[in-house]
Amino acid sequence: MDSKAGKLFRIALASIIALLFLVPLFWMLATSFKNDFEAITSGIQWLPQEFTFENYLYSLADVPVLRWMSNSLFVGITGTLLVVVVDTLAAYGLARLDVPFKKVLISMFIGSLMIPWVITFLPLYMEFNQFGLLDTYAVLILPYTANAFGVFLLYQYFRGFPKSLEEAAHLDGANKWQVFTKVVLPSAKPTIWTLAIFTFMGIYNDFLWPLVTTTSPEMRTITTGIAVMQQGSFVSSPGKLMALTSIATIPAVLLFIIGQRSFIKGVTQTGIK
Amino acid sequence: MKKRNWKSAFTSSLFVLPYLFFFTIFLLIPIIYGIWISMHNWDLLSPEHEFVGLGNYQKIFNPDSYLNGLFFDGLLNTFQFVIYSVPILVVVGLALALLVNSLPDRFKGFFRTTYFLSYSVSVSVVAIIWLWVLDTNSGLINQYLMKLGLQGIPWLTNMPWAWVSLVIATVWWTIGFNMVILINALNDVSEELYEASALDGANRWQRLIHVTLPSIRPVMLFVLITSTIASFNVYGQPYLMTRGGPGDSTKVLLMNIVDEAFEQRQLGTSAAMSLLMALIMIIISVVQFKLTKEKE
Repeated sequence: MDSKAGKLFRIALASIIALLFLVPLFWMLATSFKNDFEAITSGIQWLPQEFTFENYLYSLADVPVLRWMSNSLFVGITGTLLVVVVDTLAAYGLARLDVPFKKVLISMFIGSLMIPWVITFLPLYMEFNQFGLLDTYAVLILPYTANAFGVFLLYQYFRGFPKSLEEAAHLDGANKWQVFTKVVLPSAKPTIWTLAIFTFMGIYNDFLWPLVTTTSPEMRTITTGIAVMQQGSFVSSPGKLMALTSIATIPAVLLFIIGQRSFIKGVTQTGIK
Repeated sequence: MKKRNWKSAFTSSLFVLPYLFFFTIFLLIPIIYGIWISMHNWDLLSPEHEFVGLGNYQKIFNPDSYLNGLFFDGLLNTFQFVIYSVPILVVVGLALALLVNSLPDRFKGFFRTTYFLSYSVSVSVVAIIWLWVLDTNSGLINQYLMKLGLQGIPWLTNMPWAWVSLVIATVWWTIGFNMVILINALNDVSEELYEASALDGANRWQRLIHVTLPSIRPVMLFVLITSTIASFNVYGQPYLMTRGGPGDSTKVLLMNIVDEAFEQRQLGTSAAMSLLMALIMIIISVVQFKLTKEKE
């Protein structure tokens, strides 16, 4: 059925396409080790003629890049924890417990998934402005907690969880909270993990919201901090700019390679079928 | 069981309350507040906000108002980006998924990771990398073109190249995500269907059209809708790469909304523009959903 030539052709094609994905990243790395003069004038030079670490030293010393990365990590992790806890509780309550007005709440939450975020963008800004919370961690974390995606995802999971297991625990004298934490939660781990990965990536990579709600250099996230540098003092300094982006990119890429298996599993799990 | 047990209802509510609290403060109230703001002449610098009813919306539809141009020129640019990028993101995403799936097993993981890798970098890194690769003088691509004796292309400063650049950067950044979703869908297509079609003597192409595509239609719909929404919300790429230029020709609607709000400080009109933009997005999603569902 499948000829050897066909197989080779497909591998060759796949390799060429792989180069299209990798070359820009490699070019970023290569440039980050060149001085600005060489970067601008030397043309196609895959490896630097004069290998220099100066760009990295400069970026680490004169730009709060480590602070920005810690901000991004802190905001991403705190936000994710908050979302996971709050969403899991709500989803379980709606799926299994006698919550009043359950039907109304469920349709309201699911309906909210249809609403584009651009609707809340400016009024949310004004809300935080009124509370004097712009340029704080609160403004970088709290807005993400309203997203109903996780409630919906876990609600579906809990609905499919065998009721008999919970009932058995109830008969043994466990209360709601014990049933939830001892019986239901452990089995929900993979779904919760999926929600955590999606939430973290969403917060970590968000651009416009942190861009308009933070103003002081020490409150920037890595994404917005780099953008400000690109538009500002690094505009004509490709070597330094590429060192900065490399510093930001390498941990993300490594984490991604490690975590992609759970991520891909998660994609399957979100019920996109 | 019908009789409500109040104590139980109370403890059960405690599970939902924390989320309901966040949902109310960060979603429900902002929506209502946004509608309220959009009905005012809301200058950020002035303490008094005059109620104008639907006046801001009327201005958007009044050809004599500057808002009319701001909204519809921006919308047209957003539409252009959606129309250029979404078909590529969906069709090439599917092609990549098919290609990876057709490779021998030991190569699959490597190529899937490679095509998906760029999804892990953030939009500012994407913009900076591509600005550098596409740079008119020192950029990699123009250097090669000049080596071949061709003229360098003004990638970011001329039309239609500015759109081409934005689409290239976007596709490079996000197509891996679509591919991964589609690979999953392809793996779920039942083997029996393929075997049956092989018995009927179907060739590769016929199998794709008659077996694969119908089986993955719901996932294709999901990819189509999420790509459309993402492209509609595009901001970082034009903001960082072309800054809306040349002229205002890649200045998308969201950029105009942000400028109106934070440069002109006109919250009322910008809130009205956001609400209209959201309305258009909802309509498009519903239409896409209906169109693809009807064929079944």
